[in-house]
This record gives sequence, structure tokens and C-alpha cells, in this order.
Amino acid sequence: MAYSEKVVDHFNNPRNMGSFKKEEDGVGTGIVGAPECGDVMKLQIKVENDTIVDAKFKTFGCGSAIASSSLATEWLKGKTVEEAGKIKNTDIVQELNLPPVKIHCSVLAEDAIKAALADYQKKADSK
Amino acid sequence: MNGHIHNTDDRRELQMARSMCWHCQSEMAGEYFCDRCVKVQPVSKDLDYFTCFGLPRRLALNPQTLETKFYELSRAFHPDFYQNKSDEEQTISLGNSAMLNTAYRTLRDPIQRAEYLLDLEAGSVKDIRTTPPADLFEEILELQDTLDEFRASDRASESASTLRTKLHADRATLEQRQRDIEAQLLQLFSRWDALQDRGEATEQARTERGRILKEMRDILSNRTYVKNIVNDLVATIA
Repeated sequence: MAYSEKVVDHFNNPRNMGSFKKEEDGVGTGIVGAPECGDVMKLQIKVENDTIVDAKFKTFGCGSAIASSSLATEWLKGKTVEEAGKIKNTDIVQELNLPPVKIHCSVLAEDAIKAALADYQKKADSK
Repeated sequence: MNGHIHNTDDRRELQMARSMCWHCQSEMAGEYFCDRCVKVQPVSKDLDYFTCFGLPRRLALNPQTLETKFYELSRAFHPDFYQNKSDEEQTISLGNSAMLNTAYRTLRDPIQRAEYLLDLEAGSVKDIRTTPPADLFEEILELQDTLDEFRASDRASESASTLRTKLHADRATLEQRQRDIEAQLLQLFSRWDALQDRGEATEQARTERGRILKEMRDILSNRTYVKNIVNDLVATIA
């Protein structure tokens, strides 16, 4: 199986790799894993006035998992929290042209986005 | 992974459907061959691997018993013995052999066997989803950072050698963790088998069943995460 050009590009030049401090104001952190393949993904968003101003990721896994999370952070920037919640794994599959065996990577990315948003919301609500 | 989920009603229907010989239409009593016309019968794709080998759904398994049964069925289904038979029989022989090989490979390996059992039982247990091990994830990502740092470092430098020492220590810790996980699994296996052997249908037994399966699911997942990071670690510092 060959990776699509877009996957290779994200893999070789991952966007927004890194992390924010979890405790930082407006930061939401989502850490998820895929028990089938053992991939682990951390995705963080930084929110100001309901808009995601920055996003970062760290992924331990295959090329498709890295590409999926890299793409997700790119898409997240500039979106409102509500818009971000609408990103679907199928959008990622389509953009990266993922083969059926790699669809779970995109699911992982969607889960990571959801977890990061939930974490952000929880922090915001507890204030 | 999720291709083996069974529904009890479906299975009953399938077994009914295949209780008639495809060739002479007489009712079937035997397992794989018609009693009347002796034609080979297709093994239903929905027949689970344990049943296929005539084994109870237990996790401890005598490899010798499994192998003996595998050879016996292999001989019965092998395409070589069907070269002069009808097209239908040749197709059945091929299909059965393929299914048998997959079944044998799956049951032979204890981990795959447990994963398979979980798939089989997934329908009967609600919420078999895993609880993500947050601490383990943090640890893995942290270790990943150290690995990246090591990969980028000049191998001859002092900092690289400090990193290497740390990574070796991490490796030892993780490998111990792997051994602990396997021990935990074995314990769960015997708890499951004991429960199966008792064969109780009480509410209490059902709850215990669900608990064991969920625990097994979690431990197997953790095992995969740890195994992955260990492989990466070993490949990097080797």
C-alpha cells in the first residue's frame, strides 16, 4: 500500500507539532489512543473569544495517524468552537485519500478533536 | 477486527439453513460430511473457530489437541483430495481449507485467541469499550519526545550518552511492565475458564463475565500500546 501524496507531505512536514501547557488558560487537551494498532495522539487547542487561535499535536503512530492529526490542527485554526465540533473523520479520509485500512486513523483524529473540545469546555465551565 | 460479531439468533438460523446436504438434500447429522452421500459440506462462515475445532470457548488450550484436530480436518478438506471431484466440491474444499487455516492461526496464538474471544463475546457484553489509560498515554508521549531528542542528537556527544542510559532504563521498566501484563492476562484467562466450566446462567455469573471481558479488553489494549513503544524504543537504541 502506498501513501497518498498528501499523507507523505504531512508526514514529512508536519504542521503544528508540539504542545501547550495543559494548565494554560483557554487550552483544551485531548489524548486518545487506538487499541487496535497502539497509536497514541495528543491534540491541543488554544481558544480565545470562542475562536481557536492555535492548535498543536503530538502523535505516536503510523504515517496516516500523523497526517490525520497534522491536518486536523490545520483545519482547527480560525474555527469557532462550534465549527470545530463539526469536523468529521470522513472529511479527513477524503482530504488525505486514506485507504480503508487507515480509516481508524481519521477516527482517532476526530476523537482527539472531540476530547480537546470537551476538555476546553470543562475547564471553561469550572470557572 | 469486528467481522466476527455474532448474534445468537442469526447463528441458530444459519445452522438450521445448513442442516441439509447441498447435494442430496437429506438432513444432516454429521459435522462436515453428509451421512448419506458422503459429500463434503461447506463450513458456515459464521461458525466460530472454537466450534469449528470442537472446542469449548475457553482460553487455556492444549496446543497438542488443537494441532491434532487441525491436521485431521486439514486432511479431510485438503484440495489435493478433491481434484477428481465436482466443481462444487472443489470450491467447498478450498473454502473450508482457507477457513481452517485462519481458525488455526487465530486459536494457536494466546493473544489472538483472546482477541477473537472478545470479538465473539462483544455482542453479549454491553460496553466492552476500553477506558483510555491516560497515564500510559502521557508516559508514551513523553518517552517519544526523549526518543526524538536522541534521534536528533550527535551520537558521540555526552548528552546522547545520557539519553541512551535513560532510554535503556526505560526499556527495562517497560519490559517488566510487559511481563506484568502477560501475567495479569493469564490470571484473567483462568478466571474466564473457571466461569465457563461452571456454566452458570445466573445474573451474578453474567456480571462476572462482563467484568472479566472488559478487564481483558483493557489489558490487551494496554499491551498493544506498551508493545508498540517498546518496539520503537528497541529499534532506536539498538
